Amino acid sequence: MNLALNQGGRETGVSKWFLRVPALLYVTLMILVPLIVIVEDGFREGLSGLVHQISVPIAQHAILLTLWTAALMTLINAIMGLATAYVLVRYEFPGKRLLNAIVDLPLAIPTLVTGVMLVMLYGPQSALGGFLSQKIELDIIFAPPGIVVALLFISFPFVVRSIQPVLMNLDLSQEDAAATLGAKPWYTFRTVVLPTLLPPLISGSLLSFSRAVGEFGAVVIVAGNIPLKTQTAAVYVLGAVESENRLGASAVSLLLLAIAIIILMVANKIQKSWGARHEN
Amino acid sequence: MKINFKTLLIIAILAVSLGACSSVAEEPTGDQINLILAAYTTPREAYGEIIPLFQAYWFEETGQQVIFEESYLGSGAQSRAVVEGFEADVIALSLEADVNRIQNAGLITHDWKTAKNNGIVTTSVVSLAVRESNPKGVSNWADLTQPGLEVLTPNPNTSGGAMWNVLAVYGAALRGQVDGVPGDDPDAAYDFLVQVLQNVSVMDKAARDSILNFEMGIGDLAITYENEILVGRQSGQTYERVIPSSTILIQNPVAVVDASVDEHGTREVAEAFVNFLFTPEAQAIFAKFGLRVVNEDVAAENEAEYPPVEDIFTVDYFGGWDAIMTDIFGEDGIYNQAIASAQGDAQ
Repeated sequence: MNLALNQGGRETGVSKWFLRVPALLYVTLMILVPLIVIVEDGFREGLSGLVHQISVPIAQHAILLTLWTAALMTLINAIMGLATAYVLVRYEFPGKRLLNAIVDLPLAIPTLVTGVMLVMLYGPQSALGGFLSQKIELDIIFAPPGIVVALLFISFPFVVRSIQPVLMNLDLSQEDAAATLGAKPWYTFRTVVLPTLLPPLISGSLLSFSRAVGEFGAVVIVAGNIPLKTQTAAVYVLGAVESENRLGASAVSLLLLAIAIIILMVANKIQKSWGARHEN
Repeated sequence: MKINFKTLLIIAILAVSLGACSSVAEEPTGDQINLILAAYTTPREAYGEIIPLFQAYWFEETGQQVIFEESYLGSGAQSRAVVEGFEADVIALSLEADVNRIQNAGLITHDWKTAKNNGIVTTSVVSLAVRESNPKGVSNWADLTQPGLEVLTPNPNTSGGAMWNVLAVYGAALRGQVDGVPGDDPDAAYDFLVQVLQNVSVMDKAARDSILNFEMGIGDLAITYENEILVGRQSGQTYERVIPSSTILIQNPVAVVDASVDEHGTREVAEAFVNFLFTPEAQAIFAKFGLRVVNEDVAAENEAEYPPVEDIFTVDYFGGWDAIMTDIFGEDGIYNQAIASAQGDAQ
């Protein structure tokens, strides 16, 4: 990604200043300053104050619930997103364009509405939700599975849309060569296609994880929000803000922020080292 | 042909709505004044009927047109918005603690409790919404602990209504009004609160969300404002109201925000509006929308709808809101301990 940007930027003296300064200023004002404010607020009572706020049992539980549901969602999303992208790029079938359009839909729907839809579909009063709850004792809505389902819905496009362009640009001749040499389709996929797709798959997955960790709108509807049971970090932050516990809100937000930043850095690193290895 | 008709229809709608807009914009001639009302969400419909009456009254008195800007949010959120700079002239909130926050920020400088009826404009009682014909046989607080009962109540961290609910449960137990719980025994009352919280299956972020979930068929019972139940029934819902024999009187304050009215030059009209809310006309409208009213005559007229409660108590029973915010809803308060132990036992 960095490579592409550098190639595009031919620097003349004018564009250097007239574009760079406003762009940097804009990013600073719009993104960096708000982040600094929350970091400052979180550290108001020093590191120990921050650690104390995060280790309150209710906060701790909310953070752990958020992380494991997001991780489970990411795993499912990685597999199903890869499959969807592969199908969309490599096969022709009726309704393909419709499917392609549907992939982006979750990003267009307000996540609150997503939550309401899921309650209608899987809620204890719906036919499906009632069946699952009574026959296999699987409660979806107002329980952790509901959180995973909601997160899957809202972050589905990330993996698909990360892989799709790479897969489209992938040279088919390598696969053909493998096939000519007698490789089975699965072997070809594993040794030829997958290594190229791994960087976008990982970055797409991590992107969807970061997105899920901060999700509020859909989760507040489907989770049940009971402290120590079904309350996620984002909902905890709202409660902390609303009950004047600003430090608690900032501390938990900061932790989520730190996790997201580390994940993005790891994704970047993986992508770079992977890319370098495969170019040689 | 079809398209033409559609196009015509759209043009017609646009024309009508533009016409409507321009007529609204043209109407106020001469003297007009803006008034910003920041309220909690429950009385929204009531204000929808009261405001036109006040506008007519004020126009007759002064020849001045009052243009209202109305904002409806959860009581706590509304109160914080005002503290953080939302310049409301009049606030109508769900509980006194939210007015105190604004007062503590220095934005209300007069003693708002010396106003009419101590600044309390409407009341309600914490009640129970149960399914049609009450299949679980819930008639009082003690029934809330029956095993397997699914109870809805919002989260006190985000909802003023939820605080009233916790106070009602805990207070009734403390007063010895719950079967099987000895009175004046804080430990026993605490245990009872834990048992009720163990049956809570969903904690929505606000009272309205909670009753909407109940309407979708979730849960066996919702602890909520009486007015939410009455308004729901008016709009065709079939759930029923159960008033526990002992419950808390919810008191909803109104106040003029001094900092705002002084800046906007709206003190006179703002105070008149607050006073107007206590007139029989306005009180009758509140009563129509499910609230218990403070005007005795209007209350007497509506007595059939609002039966008296056997043992009713107010926040004074707990020593007022300041004490409640530390002892019950503070970081190490009774509520936080109870929810932790309720969920700890459930796991």
